[in-house]
Amino acid sequence: MGKQLAKTSGRKLALEVVFLAAVFLLLVPFLGAHRVTDFAIFCITVLSFDLLYGYMGGLSLGHLLYLGAGAYATGLSLRYLTSNPLLAIVFGVLAACVVGMAAGSVVVRATGACFSLINLAFNRVGWFLVMSPLKSITGGENGLSIRNLSLGLFDFRDSTFRFLFVLVSLIFVFLLLRIITSSSYGVLLRSIKENEKRVRFLGYNTYFYKWINFVIAASVAGFAGALTALNYGYINPNVLDVNSNPGVVFACLIGGPGRLYGAIVGGIIYMLITNLLPIYFQRWELLLGVSLLLIVFRFREGIWGSLETLYARITTRENANPLKKGVSK
Amino acid sequence: MIYSIMYGLTIGAIFYLISIGLSLTFGTMRVINFAHTITYTIGAYILAASVNHLGIPFLWGGVLAVLVAALVGYCIERFIIRRLYGESLDYTFIATFAVFLIGVDIVKGIWGVYPKPLSDPIGRSINFMGFAFPMYRILVILLAILVFFGVELFMRKTMVGKIIRAALDNKEGVLCLGIEVEKYFSIVFVLGSILAAIGGVLYAPITAIHPYMGLNILLLCFAVVLTGGMGNLRGTFFASFGLGMLMSITGRYWPAGSEIVVFMAMAIMLFFRPIDV
Repeated sequence: MGKQLAKTSGRKLALEVVFLAAVFLLLVPFLGAHRVTDFAIFCITVLSFDLLYGYMGGLSLGHLLYLGAGAYATGLSLRYLTSNPLLAIVFGVLAACVVGMAAGSVVVRATGACFSLINLAFNRVGWFLVMSPLKSITGGENGLSIRNLSLGLFDFRDSTFRFLFVLVSLIFVFLLLRIITSSSYGVLLRSIKENEKRVRFLGYNTYFYKWINFVIAASVAGFAGALTALNYGYINPNVLDVNSNPGVVFACLIGGPGRLYGAIVGGIIYMLITNLLPIYFQRWELLLGVSLLLIVFRFREGIWGSLETLYARITTRENANPLKKGVSK
Repeated sequence: MIYSIMYGLTIGAIFYLISIGLSLTFGTMRVINFAHTITYTIGAYILAASVNHLGIPFLWGGVLAVLVAALVGYCIERFIIRRLYGESLDYTFIATFAVFLIGVDIVKGIWGVYPKPLSDPIGRSINFMGFAFPMYRILVILLAILVFFGVELFMRKTMVGKIIRAALDNKEGVLCLGIEVEKYFSIVFVLGSILAAIGGVLYAPITAIHPYMGLNILLLCFAVVLTGGMGNLRGTFFASFGLGMLMSITGRYWPAGSEIVVFMAMAIMLFFRPIDV
């Protein structure tokens, strides 16, 4: 924990940004810009989920509701309100924020299984609203196509521009979450994850802080949704399908919950498994299941967490430091 | 309207059969058991395979399906769930979901992804006051009520049932008496799997059999369990029939809204009576 608490200097942050950008740019020659854009958007989703699960301990099974809210708000505002895609993104984030505020006021009072399942119920309701009562404006099952995708320099019809825009957004989200999680508020969140009752004894209104965090996570997910809408120029109800929620959870776990890098590594690996493996290997769900069991029984820290532990072990051996470093959690 | 009530009772009966296992595992072991549906799916598939391909009569096919599902349930408990007692909820959820993924993929590998047809084994219906009730559905409802009384009797009269009820109430207390709670948990788990498989077998002729058939009904059953109270067997009984009825009556007037009503009911219930896990 101590490592994350330490003030990260500007140079180190810049280095991290360069590293992050380099990773995604390096993926482009292998996978193509289009796919890497998908990967980056998914990584933003996983980052927002990580803020909720890894830092606050709320295993939400309905996180895609906010992504869907963002996507639909962006799409609908581009269709009916404005022709400015950047304004539409703002609308998308706002919509997800509002939905998160409303749903959050109910769900943060629940813990554990109830939290997961109430979220799931809300997600289902959202999906239903899109599919049925709001069919006339959302297009129901057929989805919604967006036309006004460009404004001056911001031309979302160009795939290179889309890729760069999404990459910049990813870095922006990463830095934002880095600031949030390393602030004293982030420490409070982690304490709530460890033991909510004790934090309440200290005089904090934990519901309020959890609610704030829920709204932030929802807004970031909404941002990812807005990017999804602009990336495809088309939205269908699958973006908020309840059954794809576990994918986000798995991505977070594969990478290592409670670590921003873990979320990115997990996002990339999960997307690699689901995008590329089915081409070579038909039974990829089996493999995913087995790897998840492995994670649960052996590598609780996820890939990034295991790397961190390994790194810590190597450096302590080199320094012959008798003080055992705890795994930062 | 009569038909809607009939349908509500049938779906309530199926809900009940599947939810008991969930409610018990929730109540005793604090496990959100996504793997529960695998026994349900496998039960339905084995029944379909034995009736359609092997030509075994429905009844014996059903018995075979339940036996296989019990075996599968035991294996899941023995190798996966048993290692996770006392762990945090997240890991059990992920492990059971992983089991679900593996199970679905195996089912897909054996039987393919296309839905399997299965016809109503009785096919006759009873005429009563001018309405024709399919006999099979009446049988399903009666069976669910029978199971309810069976489970009640089991929980109240037998030693195993009494220990399980005590463990639902206070696990540490039972442990202090020198009783190996874990052993009884595995009994609970297998019992739940058997009931879920019975649910699958009974529901198979009414619905379509496909690899993901379990997931949808599982979500509804979670709603049932949360509405009825975790580990509360009578609550589960009333919640499943109540929600089944709600679902079918809503479905009559507003077909698209039928599932949503169930989730709304759950959310409202949880808002006013939160459950701490």
